[in-house]
This record gives sequence, C-alpha cells and structure tokens, in this order.
Amino acid sequence: MRRLFRLALVVALAVWAWRSLLRERGPRERASVAYADGSSLVLEPGSAGFERLAAPARRVLVP
Amino acid sequence: MDASQALAELTELSSQVKRAVVLDASGAILGATDADAAAAEELAQAALDLVGAAGDVHASPDEVARVEVELAAGGLFVLREGGLTIAATTGPRPTSGLVAYDLRTCLRAIDPPARKGRRGARARTGEGEE
Repeated sequence: MRRLFRLALVVALAVWAWRSLLRERGPRERASVAYADGSSLVLEPGSAGFERLAAPARRVLVP
Repeated sequence: MDASQALAELTELSSQVKRAVVLDASGAILGATDADAAAAEELAQAALDLVGAAGDVHASPDEVARVEVELAAGGLFVLREGGLTIAATTGPRPTSGLVAYDLRTCLRAIDPPARKGRRGARARTGEGEE
C-alpha cells in the first residue's frame, strides 16, 4: 500500500513538473491581420511589421 | 439602434471589452464608450493608424477587415464591416474569437440611418470603401 502511495506521489509530481515546463512563460504578444480577400497574417515580436502595428496599440493600452 | 446604444449593449454583454468606439466610412466618430471626447478621439486615431499600418503590410488599407494586436498590457481590436469600423481595447490575454464575435454583433446591430458621423469628419487613410 505504501509503495502504491509513493508511486502515485511520484506520478503526480512528474505530471506537475511536465506541465510547469510546458506552460507558456511571460506575456504573449502578437498581431494578426485579416483581409477582405480572405487572406490573413500573424506577426510575432521581432518580425518586420509587428512594431508598426504595435505602436498605435501601445498609445491606447500603455498608460 | 444607434451606435451609442449598440456600444452600451456591447460593454454590458462583454466582460472583456474595456473601451470601444465606432467610426463611419469617413472616420468620423459615431459613438464611444468613453465619456471623455479626447480619449475617444485617441482610440479612434489609434484604430485608423492601425488599419493604415495593416494595409501597408499587405495591400491597401481598404482591404483590411480585422486587426488584432495583443500586448502584455492588453489587446486592441479593430473590425471593419459594411462601411463601419469598430475599435475596442481589452485586458491582457483576451479571447480573440469571442471579442471579434462581440464586435461584429455590435456593428451589425447599428441601423443604417445611424451610420452618419456626429462628431465631425476626420481624414482617414485610404478613402474609397464601398
């Protein structure tokens, strides 16, 4: 019984550690645009157009 | 209903939308959740700038249907449909699909006669929408 309890504890700790490692770290930042022709694009920080889209947003979002 | 009523309904129904403004095809403000006109103008200008920037990234500003920018401080959504533009801010990590659905519902609730500017026209980047 004690072995079973230890095994359950180890499994629970392993699951917790795995989920902690996979959890998204830090704030998510991205920009996406959808066009009338059905096309769309997603820009991540560091990409060419991201700062151009982020600048107007920062004006109203960041106090 | 008019834009102000639609926006009041939007903020009542959506827990994610903090501020919103509706613009007509010329960029004039039809309604805003901000009581402060300067704050509404600021949000409207940011929306127009965002659409302009999004158009530059791809083609022309008039082809932009939706823009979403998520930052650590929150999100800015701009949606364009039927000659109207709605812009809204949210808190961090918004549920994009849900916010877009709420904004689209708000735009569709606005009656065509209400689609005329009340607070003065504004020069808009990329004239020529339907």
